[in-house]
Amino acid sequence: MKDIIRVQSLLSVGVEAAINQQIKKEAQSSSIYLAMASWCDRNGFDNSADYFFKQSEEERAHQLKFYKYVLDMGGTAISPEVTNIKIEYNSFREVFEDALEQEVSVTESIKAIAARCHKEQDYVTLEFLNWFFKEQREEEYKARRALELFDVIGEAGTGRWEIDHHVSKIKYDNE
Amino acid sequence: MEVTEVTYATEFTEVFTTKAGAIYQCDNESCWYIDFAGKLARFDYRCLLKLNKAINVIDIEKRLLDSSSPDMEIIFICACDDTYVLTLTQIIAFKELLQGTFVMLELNNIICTRLYRTAV
Ligand SMILES: [Fe+2]
Ligand SMILES: [Fe+2]
Repeated sequence: MKDIIRVQSLLSVGVEAAINQQIKKEAQSSSIYLAMASWCDRNGFDNSADYFFKQSEEERAHQLKFYKYVLDMGGTAISPEVTNIKIEYNSFREVFEDALEQEVSVTESIKAIAARCHKEQDYVTLEFLNWFFKEQREEEYKARRALELFDVIGEAGTGRWEIDHHVSKIKYDNE
Repeated sequence: MEVTEVTYATEFTEVFTTKAGAIYQCDNESCWYIDFAGKLARFDYRCLLKLNKAINVIDIEKRLLDSSSPDMEIIFICACDDTYVLTLTQIIAFKELLQGTFVMLELNNIICTRLYRTAV
């Protein structure tokens, strides 16, 4: 008897479902960053707004990377629905706290997919995920550094203006 | 079980059978034929997965306890040719049939990989 399922797709049902969940998560991240850009722009933090616009585009690119992988491997990529995106934030700092929390949850979620791949010996997907692990190293670093600025610069006086100025200079270049 | 849709002779391999029905694989067409609820219906790879998902999301326990829920369920699978109208008892039987089928298909995957695909 032919092994029809394996011939059609490299991905197991479980791994495919997990990646489709991740596609949704990346889409949500993209929307969240867009909302953050809106809030920062409205409140006079132009550099931070630019920073979040860029982040939003990056998340969209991540979404598409997962999306195309599922299709290339013979699976069905599902275009996600994104709802309940926050519009208002209580403070400038809260925006960055949320950003870091979002990145942490993305890292954890990709780790869970990798754990599943290990269990199923899906080394192909595991190798594909490596790119994202490296990316998350950078994403978490940047988000953490941004939040750190609030402590090292301080919010008093022109502090927030100063923080906004430094946000655009954050970069991670440790290969 | 009544057979209504076979138009030409093809070679079937029985994948799994229960008292309520059977699922056969057709290697030539790379698809499955499901003999259930009085008809024989053809499912390709994508449709079989969708059917399995559609059956599995039905909360049988909740249906049994909730007197206001309907006794019949329409199983419509997007982009697939066949629709099922099933009673709760039939849904339970269908679930069992599909579960067994996927276990057998998984077993077949292991056999194919161990026997023909791996060098060691
Ligand atoms: Fe991402
Ligand atoms: Fe990110």
